[in-house]
Amino acid sequence: MPEGNEAVIVAPGVQLARNFFREVGSLFWFVAHTLNETTERLQSGRLPFRAASFFRHTQRAGVDSVPLVSLVSFFLGLTMALLTGYQLQRFGTERLIPGLVSIAFTRELGPLITGIMLAARIGAAFTAELGTMQVSEEVEAIEAMGIGPLRFLVAPRMLALFFLMPCLSTISNIAAIFATSLVSRAYFSIAFVYFLDLVRDALLIRDIITGVLKSFLFALLIGAIACYRGLSVRGGAAGVGIATTSSVVTAVTTVIGFDTLYNIVYIVFYPT
Amino acid sequence: MSTQNTDVVELRDVHMQFEEKKVLDGTSLEVHPEDRLVIMGQSGSGKSTILRLILGILQPTSGSIFFKQFEITRLKRRKLQQVRRSIGMVYQYSALLSSRNVRDNIALPLEELTDKSPDEIDQIVDQKLELVGMKDSKDLMPSELSGGMRKRVSLARALVLEPELVLFDEPSAGLDPVIASVIDELIINLTEKSQVTSIIVTHEMGSAFRIGTRMAMLYQGKIIEDAAPEEFKRSTNPVVSQFLSGSTEGPILEGTQDAIATK
Repeated sequence: MPEGNEAVIVAPGVQLARNFFREVGSLFWFVAHTLNETTERLQSGRLPFRAASFFRHTQRAGVDSVPLVSLVSFFLGLTMALLTGYQLQRFGTERLIPGLVSIAFTRELGPLITGIMLAARIGAAFTAELGTMQVSEEVEAIEAMGIGPLRFLVAPRMLALFFLMPCLSTISNIAAIFATSLVSRAYFSIAFVYFLDLVRDALLIRDIITGVLKSFLFALLIGAIACYRGLSVRGGAAGVGIATTSSVVTAVTTVIGFDTLYNIVYIVFYPT
Repeated sequence: MSTQNTDVVELRDVHMQFEEKKVLDGTSLEVHPEDRLVIMGQSGSGKSTILRLILGILQPTSGSIFFKQFEITRLKRRKLQQVRRSIGMVYQYSALLSSRNVRDNIALPLEELTDKSPDEIDQIVDQKLELVGMKDSKDLMPSELSGGMRKRVSLARALVLEPELVLFDEPSAGLDPVIASVIDELIINLTEKSQVTSIIVTHEMGSAFRIGTRMAMLYQGKIIEDAAPEEFKRSTNPVVSQFLSGSTEGPILEGTQDAIATK
């Protein structure tokens, strides 16, 4: 192949890699500066943001997401119990359904599904909101007053997601396990009491801890990506639209990517 | 970094470039205490950039900017935030926080940056709203306000921390002539009353001569004229004369697409 052609093929790849690392670097910088501004404010003996602002975001991100998260998890639990149940029944091992679904949800699907839903529901809202503030010069006005926009706008949003995500993930687990118990009772004659015994036998504390740790990690990723994209908006309404789409796509991909990475690390270090 | 400086603002040989576009090309300017300096120039000539440079929101490509004894370009973030508390800014489109009502918008700097009690804050907000004639609109949201009302709230917010310098970005743009005059008079009254220095960026001629105690013309990245209003009007600089007369004949359009189109 002539040298010129190689350059044509390689150059876009190099550019893509450069953009990727630049974005990752900027995101780290963004989180580090948010932390820095917040701790500086705390050191000066003042709250970095108003409690009302924090609770408003917990209400939006957390409480208002409960119906969606529980409904989707309930249906997923139903589907999973039905599909696995009919396969397991062929081998006479349908009593494995409760353990299978509960482990799958507490360790994996609960945090993952909640992460994906929150990235779409709340991440998009955060990006659009901050993006609109950015294009209408509200963020600049806050900065011009001498107020740190990162601690004032980003910190309460990230913190609200951070604290609420494990709660939502637990609700997702409960909804899915509840759905499984209904399917187990209706189609596979597993009584509720026996179902609970099977779940208790199958679930390990470390499954629950793994799920909770994942939730915290996903919350940080979604919050950081959504707020970063929002504050990086350029170019008016179209810019807000592009940033919102990009925020959801990046957050969902990153959550799934980190979930895989987490599982690989977990299985390598704690094989069972 | 400190210097022995009696000027409120000083720009020394400031260059500013956005990618390929050179906006400021060796701009130098001093603003004295209690000046109401009007910076005039074409749209996109870098007038608003000067305001953002003074606030430290933009960093110049080279040169230095002083606010009193502080060199803005060299200040650490924390110190810069402290310095910004002495500067108020009124944005072209007001930049009120759309999720907060009028009262909360004005109270924001007080709540975030001072230790005042809610009662004291309420008192100050009322006082500032009265100054701008908006006392009855305390509970309205920015979306419920007209352009002129937003400007007045924005002015009240800029004055709430008793700044030493107030920056105005196109204060009368987009307003009808009567409301524009009301805003101009407010600017004059409030800056005189509180003895603050102000820099007003505008290309509205009437407004500029009403407000200004000093006029400067920014052209091709440089301050080409800096004088008292009467002297400025009599300027023999062809760019200033053309700008003031609004003529299409003259150096401003030379070599541009507009000039070619008119020929």
